[in-house]
Amino acid sequence: MKKIKYLLSFILFCQSLQSQISTIIPSSNAIALTSVADSYNWTSFNNPAMLGYVVLLEFALQFENRYLLSELSTKSIQFAFPSNLVNAGISFSHFGYSLYNEMLIGLGLARNFSDRFAMGVQFNYYTAFFSSSNSYRGALFPQIGLSVHLSSDFSIGFNTFNPFQTNIKTEYVIKVIPSIFSLGTEYFFSKELVWRTQFDKEVSSNYRFAMGIEYQMLQSIIVKTGAYGSSYLVPCLGVGFKTGAFILDLNCEMHPLLGLNTLAAIKYRFRK
Amino acid sequence: MKRLFIYLLLLCSCSSRAQDAASVTEQIIEDMYEQYTAESDEAIDYDSFYEDLKECSLNPINLNKTTPEELKRLPFLSDSQVENILAYVYRFGSMQTIYELQLIEGLDLTDIRRMLPFVFVGEGDFTNKKIYLHDILRYGKNELYFRLDKGLETKEGYQFLPEEDVKSEQSNAGNYLGNELYNSLKYRFHYKDRILAGITVEKDAGEQFWGKVHKGYDFYSFHVQLKDAGKFKTIVLGDFRANFGQGLVLHSEFGIKKSSYVLNVTSRNSGLKKYSSAGESNFFRGGGATIQLGKFDLSAFYSNKMIDGDTVNGTFATIIKTGYHRTIDELSKKQTVNQQIMGGNATYTNMNMQIGVTCVHTLLSCNLLPERSIYNYFYFSGNRQTTGGVFYRLRWKKLNLFGETAITGNGAMATLNGFYFNPISSVNLVVLHRYYSPDYDTFYASSFSVSSRVNNEKGLYLGVEVRPFRKWKFAGYVDSYYFPWPKYGIDAPSVGKDYLFQSDFNAKRNITMFWRFRFEEKQTNFTVSDSVLSNIVPIQKTSLRYGLSYSYGYFNFKNILEGNLSRQSGAEWTYGFIVSQDVSYAFQDTPLKIDFRYQFFDAVSYDNRFYSYEKDVLNAYSIPMYYGLGSRYYLNVKFEFNTHLSFWFKIAQTVYADNRESLSSGNETISGNRKTDIRLLVKWKF
Repeated sequence: MKKIKYLLSFILFCQSLQSQISTIIPSSNAIALTSVADSYNWTSFNNPAMLGYVVLLEFALQFENRYLLSELSTKSIQFAFPSNLVNAGISFSHFGYSLYNEMLIGLGLARNFSDRFAMGVQFNYYTAFFSSSNSYRGALFPQIGLSVHLSSDFSIGFNTFNPFQTNIKTEYVIKVIPSIFSLGTEYFFSKELVWRTQFDKEVSSNYRFAMGIEYQMLQSIIVKTGAYGSSYLVPCLGVGFKTGAFILDLNCEMHPLLGLNTLAAIKYRFRK
Repeated sequence: MKRLFIYLLLLCSCSSRAQDAASVTEQIIEDMYEQYTAESDEAIDYDSFYEDLKECSLNPINLNKTTPEELKRLPFLSDSQVENILAYVYRFGSMQTIYELQLIEGLDLTDIRRMLPFVFVGEGDFTNKKIYLHDILRYGKNELYFRLDKGLETKEGYQFLPEEDVKSEQSNAGNYLGNELYNSLKYRFHYKDRILAGITVEKDAGEQFWGKVHKGYDFYSFHVQLKDAGKFKTIVLGDFRANFGQGLVLHSEFGIKKSSYVLNVTSRNSGLKKYSSAGESNFFRGGGATIQLGKFDLSAFYSNKMIDGDTVNGTFATIIKTGYHRTIDELSKKQTVNQQIMGGNATYTNMNMQIGVTCVHTLLSCNLLPERSIYNYFYFSGNRQTTGGVFYRLRWKKLNLFGETAITGNGAMATLNGFYFNPISSVNLVVLHRYYSPDYDTFYASSFSVSSRVNNEKGLYLGVEVRPFRKWKFAGYVDSYYFPWPKYGIDAPSVGKDYLFQSDFNAKRNITMFWRFRFEEKQTNFTVSDSVLSNIVPIQKTSLRYGLSYSYGYFNFKNILEGNLSRQSGAEWTYGFIVSQDVSYAFQDTPLKIDFRYQFFDAVSYDNRFYSYEKDVLNAYSIPMYYGLGSRYYLNVKFEFNTHLSFWFKIAQTVYADNRESLSSGNETISGNRKTDIRLLVKWKF
């Protein structure tokens, strides 16, 4: 019991300190979590419009470990099914461990309009275990995304997660599901070098500003660097590998107070 | 090559007009209204704004036969642009094609695109053609509008305690008598622009439609306007408005405010005009006519109507203009005072000069006696008032001078004078000086001023618009003002200043953006417990707004980002932030149009509040105020069943995330943190 209390307190403490907006939403593999305008990479529960740009059937697994504590890890899995009419995606995310956990399931639909812009909507179901009622409680809410290519080099992205501020109310507690507004840009200096910026606001948290640069050094290696700031400034580093149909991403962030945050993601794109 | 490009662009505009002229016109009107209201705390009367421009699009202006008055109906044109258009036709004769507009100095592509729905180039002038009854019956157009609004959350004013409750009698007495529906019904008839007629009935939410206390709609209005009827230039009957000169004597239309149209600081829409809005104040009820005798226009009108006031022993303290009659108390103040107004105007106009005289006399059935306080010490009291004024416009080379001086029966004076200067085609400048004495207070004045009342103010305004490059426009103004007598909330003479700078960039035909910076400093009371003297301190507010609009095919997108900082002298800066994403889609094969917006706001204090225009059902406007922390989103749908029947629907919700447990106050209190509104409008053309 003491361990549970300790962990729950630590989770709350971490959530109050960390610059990431929510633990249940998997971090994107775009560096510094600048995924909202990342046109070539769809990450579950990030901008659903990016699902519209997916051209090959793909699936991905991701594991994020916060501050070297397995109890604070987020695991997620996603599938994308492209079609001529509309692309569909299924995502699942799990945060926590056996005694405290939160889950998020999403079904997304998106469409690419002549490579000029893409729009997507995702229906998410959030569920968590409430010890006060000794049961799981959940809530359904939408997520809306948009990506627009203003020129061949420059695009902007918009995403809103839980726009209607849906929460879970039990007899004793109110579980606040994050409601996030994100806006970002993506600019290609060249085919190899991309610069992304992002602004996020979770309605009850601080603003978050992020910036990241990704450089394709070799055909199969991408190096990434960036930083984001909210309560603290968090520097980020990452590397990506491409081998055949596999794409591997390894990112890390150094929180000045809480320590190291690491993310590993593997994606497989099926061939036509 | 450049010219070819412009021709092609214009051709594209023309083809899009042919595709969906009505939608393009509505979009232009909405954009203009948004720009007009973007920097204003006060909403201008959208009904009039929309109907004027809509009429203008149905009966476009013939550029070869037009007058300054006609062109000034287009609010996006500055006075110097109007003068340049007229001067071009005067110098080079009739235009052969609409494309000649690009040859006129001071008109850029944005202006020309905006003009297209409202103008044409033609030969003949049939305005004085005789009107026949069979033509009216055959070509007259009828329109019927039915609108319903409802808030989904139940407000305090609709919650009645059961009769068994001992507190019920006292608690229920102040509640609303009617239901939560807002309803209006409008009928419009027009035969070209020669005959305009209409009936408007309205009931606000909370007003009783059919019950013990009240039966029928709360507000009834009708109007008839005839243009070029025999010797009369204009005849108005029923409800109407009168605007003359710079509005120091008469301007019952929306006021002239500072906006990002920095050159538009003078009064427009001169003359007598029908009143078709559902607003329950700021209009006349009776009749009037304008007759043209050579270069003279002579107008006379008479109005007799009942107004709202809290009368006690044959006196009342203030004229109530809200138009709400929802409770017993509000109903008791309804139409308690009779107001008679008679007035006249004579204007002489030639190519380079206009000069006119306006006089108005108001008679009230009860004495107006404001409860005296320091700020309203000079407000009008009594039951009769006469106001007169002289206005002028002079054109001399590249200089356009304008002004008006008015005086009330008690000898109080107001004067406004200025000039437009257009040294080269890419630079426009306006300078305006005003002086309104503290004791100048008349009923229907509305002119360039900081506050809504035209009195107790003097100031100097300087506005500049520069178009140095093809895709760029820079505009800015500086306004410095002084209130020589205390005002409401400022217990001493005070000063203020206001700067705006805006740059517009048309990156491509489908991508436009702007940056707008504004700084404002004014003074307010500062309460010190042990001081007997009035202390006033400055409040500063700085804001920066970025807007981006882009379109692809049938999609239109828009982003707004705005931040502001505000502080009272000596205190910490507080901030506000607002960001929005708009998506609009017009279906290709179905007559359906959808607008969606998601908006997030975070305004720490009331001084950081935002106003943001949002799309609405036809003939309605919405400029909600955002203060606190939360988000707002809306869905606006337009569907045209056929050429006769159209339908609009809007649902909007604001959710606050700053732990507030109730919204608004008094009878309008909503428990919870959400406010949801729905609107429905049906339009039938026959």
